[in-house]
This record gives sequence, C-alpha cells and structure tokens, in this order.
Amino acid sequence: MVEILRHGWLLARKDLLVEFRSRTAILSAVVFTVLVLLVFNFGRDPTAVAAVDLAPSILWVTFTFAAVLALNRAFQLELENQALDGLLLAPVSRASIYLGKLVANLIFVAVVEGVGLPLFALFFNVAILPVLGPLLVVIALATVGFVAVGTLFSAMTARTRFAELLLPVLLLPFMLPPLIWAVLATAALLAGRPLSEATAWLRFLAAFDLVFVTLAFLLFPATVNE
Amino acid sequence: MPENTPYMVAAYCITAVILLAYAVFLYRRTLKP
Amino acid sequence: MNLLKAGRWITALGLVLLAGVYVRALAFTPIERTQGVAQKIFYLHVPAAIWTETAMILVGLASAFFLFLKDPRLDRFAEASAEAGIVFGSIVLTTGPIWGKPIWGTWWTWDARLTLTLLLFLMYVGYLLLRGAVTDAGLRARYAAVLGICGACLVPFVHLSVIMFRTLHPQPIILKPGPPSLPAEMLVTFLLSFGVFTMLYVGFVMQRYALSLLREEAQHA
Repeated sequence: MVEILRHGWLLARKDLLVEFRSRTAILSAVVFTVLVLLVFNFGRDPTAVAAVDLAPSILWVTFTFAAVLALNRAFQLELENQALDGLLLAPVSRASIYLGKLVANLIFVAVVEGVGLPLFALFFNVAILPVLGPLLVVIALATVGFVAVGTLFSAMTARTRFAELLLPVLLLPFMLPPLIWAVLATAALLAGRPLSEATAWLRFLAAFDLVFVTLAFLLFPATVNE
Repeated sequence: MPENTPYMVAAYCITAVILLAYAVFLYRRTLKP
Repeated sequence: MNLLKAGRWITALGLVLLAGVYVRALAFTPIERTQGVAQKIFYLHVPAAIWTETAMILVGLASAFFLFLKDPRLDRFAEASAEAGIVFGSIVLTTGPIWGKPIWGTWWTWDARLTLTLLLFLMYVGYLLLRGAVTDAGLRARYAAVLGICGACLVPFVHLSVIMFRTLHPQPIILKPGPPSLPAEMLVTFLLSFGVFTMLYVGFVMQRYALSLLREEAQHA
C-alpha cells in the first residue's frame, strides 16, 4: 500500500516536472481560463442579469475546460519514444501508474482553478470568502470526480486516432452529473442559502468520487495490459 | 383534441422509419457478397 | 448461419406484429380523456424506453463478465446490445419531445426519464465511437468493456439524483406521462407493444451478433 503511494508520488513528480519545466500547457490553460472569464463578463448585460445567477455556471464551464485540457495531455507524454512501454516494464504496480497520473492531473487542474477562482471572484464581484470553506470542498470533490474518470479514459483514447476529440465525447455523460451537482451546490452557496441545502449535492459528489475512483483503480490495469 | 393528431402521426411515423431503417441496414450488411 | 436466419425471421415477424400493434393502438384502443390522441405515443415510447435502459444494463453485465472470463462472445453481445440500445434510444428521444410539446407545452424538460435517456444515448454514442476508433480487436474489446462497466455504474447515480432534483425544484409542467392504473384495453395494447419491442430487440441483437461473426470470419479469410 505504502509502495503504491510512494511510486505514485514519484510518477506524479515526474509528470509535473516535465510539465512545469516547459510550462506550455499550464500557461495555455491559465490564459484560456482568463479569456473565458473575460468573454462571459463582457457578454452579459449587468442590468439585466445579476452576476450571482450566472456565476456558478460560468465558474464550472471554466473549470471543466481546464480539466479537459489537462486530461488531453495526460497520456500524450507517454506516446513519445514509447515511454508508456518503459513505464509498464518498470517495477511499479499498475495502481501506482494510475495514481501518479491522477495526482499529476489533479495538481495541474488545481493550479488552474487556483488562478481561476480569485479572478472569477474579482471579475464577477462575487463574495466567495464567507463561503470559501464549503466552496473549496465542492470544487475539490467535483474535480476529483471528473479527473478520476478522465484519467482512466485518457489511457484508452491516447492511442486512438482522434484522441483529443474522442476523450471529451466519452467523458461527457460522466461529467454531466458531477457538474450539475457542483453547479447546484455552488449556486446554493453563493446565493447565501443555508449550508443544509448544498449537502445533498455534496453527498452525491462524495458518493460519485468513492465509486468512480475505486472503479478506475480496478479497471485501469485492463487498459494497459497486453 | 384533434389538434394533437399531427404529433401522434409524426411520432408513429418516426418510430416506424427508425425500426425499418435499422432492420434494412442489418439485412443488407449481412448479405453475402 | 443459423443465428442470422433466426434473427431475420424474428425481426421480420416483429415488424409485421408492429404493424398490428399500430392498428390496435390507433383504431381499437380508446382515446385518453385528458391528453387526446397524442397519448397514444405512450404505446411506442415506453417500451422503447424500457429496452433502451435494459440494453445498457445488459451491455454493462456483458462487459463485466467479459473482463473476468475473456470470452469474445460476451464482447460481441455487448456490441450488438449497444447498437440496439442506440436505435431504441433514438426512438425515445424523438417520440418523447413530440409527445411533450402538445401535452407539456415544451419540447424538453429535465424530467428524470428524459435526462436519463439523454445520458444513456450519449453513453451509447461514446461506446460505439470508442469501438470504431480502436483498430486492434483485443484492445477494442477490453476498452469497450471498461467503458461499458463505467456506463452501467453511472445509471443509478443519474436515476437517484435526477429524481431528487425533481422534488427540490418544481417542474413548469402539469401532467406527467406516467402509467397509472391503465384501463384493460390500454394495458393490453401496451403489453402487446412491449412484446413486439422485445422481439425486435432479440432479432436485432441476433443479427448484429451474426454480423460481428461474419466480419471476423472475413478478416481471417
């Protein structure tokens, strides 16, 4: 168990080092996030639509795009020089490979979200500080949900022809439920509603994460074994 | 409500078309060349 | 091919009986009082919906067993069931809004069943696209199985959460096209239609399975 964690972290570190040395993907993701927020901001008539009505959807659209961007590049690293074969031959379990990818993807998306959330609060004049705790929980749970499923699927789509197109299509039905729950919970929190209203959605998010992270660990070996 | 009839007709036609189309598709794909 | 011939006969019979169901539903079943003639869409829409969901459950089960047993027959069956599922799903997603428009006043609503069917349809599309995108047969079967299992596991979440969503946020509609206690003639029509749809599912799956076998033979030839 400890081995899996240790190897997983080593693999995640490798991915993150590669990523942050070149910095291209993270910069594009951040720039894209800012762009989306700006467009939404200018696209709305402030007298007609209150920011707080639109805000949850805008926030989650931004985060979703960032997640898909991260996932698309997740296994592409391994396609060059047949690095994936090297990885599979290494004395690490399949579980640690998945864990490593998952953690690397989560950190990538977390960085983008970390930039996006304050900008979002700034541009849309939304008071997130009073609900910051619960909001971060919602964001964390939803992100884990779609990154877990996305990491599993990207292992499968990486070697197909239209990988970048196929991954979002496959992911869509699996992203919709957590996305909807996250938007509903965020809307409840930002509107100042009592915490109890958001807990139903939080429970769904937690259950989803539990089921699909477990499923992903169980199914990942089937995607890489010959 | 007679004004509902076009909807009912549309639904019944579309269902028939979809089922027939798939049946024909299967039939033709399984014909030996 | 015995399977193919049997599948063809069953499908043909199913289509003939479908015509019979049409006649019975349109001419020999009473018109519903509040919804009028549009209610008759029920006789096609609901059996199709039942089979859309059942086909997905079967894809999920076949996928799970395939990963354990590695029997290619399970993979062929899953593929066939997925295609049948997408056909029936198209019927549900077209007849649903057509029924909804006159009765609910809107083409679409995030009602539990429509949302679930839409997600199911998207899963079927993804499943078939994935199969199409992977060239290696062994890999294709394994990947499809992974997706199939994930898909089947998603269904209960959607079911539960959309039902919850419905009770928290009131719907802007008045009537629900659910089947309460049906009068006898309507029930019989419904059951006959369900029987026909079952026959069509079986016939489609048999033929599609046979098609997979034919294609594999052609490749080895």
